[in-house]
Amino acid sequence: MADSYLVEPDVGFIEEVSRLGGADVKKCYQCATCAVACPISPDTKPYPRKEMIAASWGLKDRLINSGDIWLCHNCGDCSTKCPRGAKPGDVLAALRTAAVAEYATPKALAKMVSDPKKLPILLAIPAVIFLVVGLLLKMVGINWLNFAPTGDHLWGHSYINNYLVDIIMIPTFTGAIAVFALGLKRFISAIHENAVAEGKTDKTTIDPAGFVQALIKTVPTILKHDKFNECTDNADRATPHMMVLFGFIALFIVTGSFFVAEWIFHIEGPYRQINPVKWLGNLGGLALIIGGLILMKKRMGDEATTYWDWYLVGMVLALGITGMLTQLLRLGGAFGLMAIVYWIHIIFVWALFAYTPFSKLAHIVYRTVAMTYQEYSGRK
Amino acid sequence: MTNDQSAPVSGSIMVVGGGIAGLTTALEAAEVGYEVYLVEKNPYLGGRVAQLNQYFPKLCPPTCGLEINFRRIKDNPRITVLTQAEVEKVDGAPGDYAVSVKVSPRYVNENCTLCGACAEACDMEISNEFNFGMDRSKGAYLPFEMAFPARYVISPQIIGTDDATKAKEACEYDAIDLEMEPKSLDLKVGSIVWATGWEPYDATRIDNLGFGQYDNIVTNMMLERMAAPNGPTKGQILRPSDDKAPESVAFVQCAGSRDENHLPYCSYICCMASLKQATYIRERYPEAEVYIFYIDMRAPGQRYEKFYNMIKADEKVFFVKGKVAEVSEDPSSRQVTVVAEDAVSGEKVRQTVDMVVLATGMQPTAANAKLSADLTMTEDGFIINDFDTGGMFAAGCANKPADVVSSNQNATGMALKAIQTLARK
Repeated sequence: MADSYLVEPDVGFIEEVSRLGGADVKKCYQCATCAVACPISPDTKPYPRKEMIAASWGLKDRLINSGDIWLCHNCGDCSTKCPRGAKPGDVLAALRTAAVAEYATPKALAKMVSDPKKLPILLAIPAVIFLVVGLLLKMVGINWLNFAPTGDHLWGHSYINNYLVDIIMIPTFTGAIAVFALGLKRFISAIHENAVAEGKTDKTTIDPAGFVQALIKTVPTILKHDKFNECTDNADRATPHMMVLFGFIALFIVTGSFFVAEWIFHIEGPYRQINPVKWLGNLGGLALIIGGLILMKKRMGDEATTYWDWYLVGMVLALGITGMLTQLLRLGGAFGLMAIVYWIHIIFVWALFAYTPFSKLAHIVYRTVAMTYQEYSGRK
Repeated sequence: MTNDQSAPVSGSIMVVGGGIAGLTTALEAAEVGYEVYLVEKNPYLGGRVAQLNQYFPKLCPPTCGLEINFRRIKDNPRITVLTQAEVEKVDGAPGDYAVSVKVSPRYVNENCTLCGACAEACDMEISNEFNFGMDRSKGAYLPFEMAFPARYVISPQIIGTDDATKAKEACEYDAIDLEMEPKSLDLKVGSIVWATGWEPYDATRIDNLGFGQYDNIVTNMMLERMAAPNGPTKGQILRPSDDKAPESVAFVQCAGSRDENHLPYCSYICCMASLKQATYIRERYPEAEVYIFYIDMRAPGQRYEKFYNMIKADEKVFFVKGKVAEVSEDPSSRQVTVVAEDAVSGEKVRQTVDMVVLATGMQPTAANAKLSADLTMTEDGFIINDFDTGGMFAAGCANKPADVVSSNQNATGMALKAIQTLARK
C-alpha cells in the first residue's frame, strides 16, 4: 500500500479510553457491522468501525482530531448489533470525554471534572469565590452580601445581591467562552486536517462565510433533533434531551432579559409573576426538571452510563430544582430556607458556566461545530 | 499380529446419528469386530452430507464416500441399522449402559423394490424437508435416490387417509404394512458415541438479513439443494421469486456465526462452503458476478488455501471485507441490495444483486433437542468429551463445528475410545 505508515500506539490513551467507559473496545474484531447499523453514519468513510481500530491501536491523534466522534449521537444501535459486545457506542462516548479534556485549557480542570472525588472541591470553589468577593467588597463599603437578611419581603438584594452575582458570573461566563474559543480554534483546524487526510472532504480550506452558512443550516437540524430521532435504541432519550436543551435556551433568554432590565433600564426585581419573561423562565425550569428526571430514569441501571453522564444529569436537575424551589419558597414566605436553597442554586449556576468547556455539556459546542463542518464539507 | 477375526468382544457399541461421523464410527468399530447399533432419527443414513451437491475442495458429489460406506454397512453383519429411531433414555455406567430406543414405523418393509407405484398412487403432497421445503413430495416417498436403507417411506401425515390405502393397493410386492406400530427397544451396550450432528442455524432469527422476508435471500444449505442434480430444481440455480437465472449473487458470510446475539463461535465450514458455491454459480453462469462479503476468510490448511486462491483468481468473484448488516429489496425487480462497510477502502458499499446466499452456520442438534443422557455440554450445545469418565463420547459436529475430513478423523478416534471402554471392562 502506498499510504503505509508507522503505527505508533499510545498505550496510555488506550488505558484512558478504557477507564472512561470504552474498555470493551478490545473485543472488536472489525466486522464493520456497526458502521452499517448506525442510522446516521455517512456513506463516505463511515464511523465507528475505523474509530474502533484506531482506539484499540492507541492512535490518539486520529481520534481526538476527528470530527466523526462528535457526529455520533450515541444511539446505541451499533452496540446492540455488535456481534462481540465491543460496545462501539460506549467507546465513542469515551473518546468524546477524552477529546473534551484535550481541547480544554487548563487540562487539569478537565481531569477534575471527570473525577467524582473532585466534585466537592469543584463546588467549594464558587462558594469560596462568592464569600471572598463579597467580604472584600464589604471592606470597601459595598454591602452586596448580607448574612442576616431581614424584612418581610426577602429578595436577593438584601441577601446575595444581584450585582455581586453578576460581577462574578460575567467574567466566569466570558472565561468559559474564551476557553471554548481557544479549544475551537484548534478543534476546527484539527478536524479539517483530519478530514482532508482521510479523504472525507474535497474542500481544501475553510471559508468562514461558507462555514457560517453551514452553521445556519445545521442549527435547525439540531433544534429539531433530526439526527437523534433517526436512532432506534436510545430514541426515547431524544424527547427529554430536547426538553433540557429548550429549557436551557429559555432560561438563557430569561437571564439575558432580566440582566438587560437590571443593568440598562434599572428595573429591579422581583418581577411580577404575570410577567411573560417569568412565564418563560418557569416553563424553562419545568422543562429542565422533567427532562432531567426522565433522563435520570432512563439512565438508571444502564451500565453504559458513566460519572461523566451523571455529572451532567445531576447538574441539570440541581439547577432546575434549586431554581424552582427558590421561587416557591420565596412565594411561600419561607425566607430562611429560601436563603440556603438560593445559595446552592448560585453555586450550581456558577459551576454550569465555569465547567461547561470541561464537562460533557461541552458537546453543545463541539458537536454543533462537527455537524456544521460535515455540512460544510459536503460529506454524505 | 493375530489372524483371529473376532476381537475380544465384551459388549456392543451404540452410535447415535447416521451422518458421516456416525457412519465412520460405526464402520471403524464394526470392521475390527465389535457389534454396533447405529441409531438414526431420519428414514435414511447420510445426514447433512447426503444433502450436499459437492464436497469441498475436491468438488466431488456426496455419492463419493456415502456409497462405499453404505456398501460396507450392507456387507457387515455386526452393524444393526435402526432408522427413524431415537434414543429415549440412557441408564448405567461406562461398560454397562441400558438404552431405550424408540423406533417409529416406516410402514414399508424389506419387500420394497423401489418401483415407485405407491408414490404415483398418492394424491396429497407434503413439504419436502430434505430440500428445506423448496418442493413437495408425495406422502409415500423415497428420501433421495441413493437412500439407504433403499426403501420407500410412508409419511405419518398420510396415515389414516385415502392416500395410505391407495399406496398399499398400488404395491404389488406386499411391501406396505399400515399396521406397523412404534417399537421400543431396550438395548445393552458398553459404550455410546454421540454423532448427533448439526442443523443449519435458523436464518429467520437474524432479523437484519431479511431471510423469510425477501424471496431471493436463501441459505447456503438451500443453495446446495438447488445445485444438486437430485434437488428441487434438478441442479439449476434459479432465483426463487421468478426462476430467473441470477446475473449476480452475493454471499453473506458469518450469517449468525461469530455473533454473540446468535452463534458466538465460528462454524468453520461456511467460508469454504461459499467458495465452493461460488464455483456452482460460475460454472452455470459464465457471465454472472459473485460477491463474497466476509469478516475474515478462513481457509485452514494448504489444500483449502489453494482452493481459496483459485477462487480469488476468478475475475468475476469479488471479495469485500465487511459484514453485511442491512438488506433491502426493490419490490419491482425483486433484486436485493446488501449494505456493508468495505473495511479496506473505508467506504460503505451498497451492492444490488439478483440473489443473496446467507452463509448460515451450524448449530449442534443437541442445542435444540435435549439429549436424554448424562452428558456435559458447552453453553452452545456441543458435547464436551470427558475422557476421564469415558463410556460416552461425541464425534463430528456434535463435538465441534467441523468439515467432513475432520469429522471422519475425529470419528475414527472416538471409535477407538468406544472400543477401549469395552476392552477395559
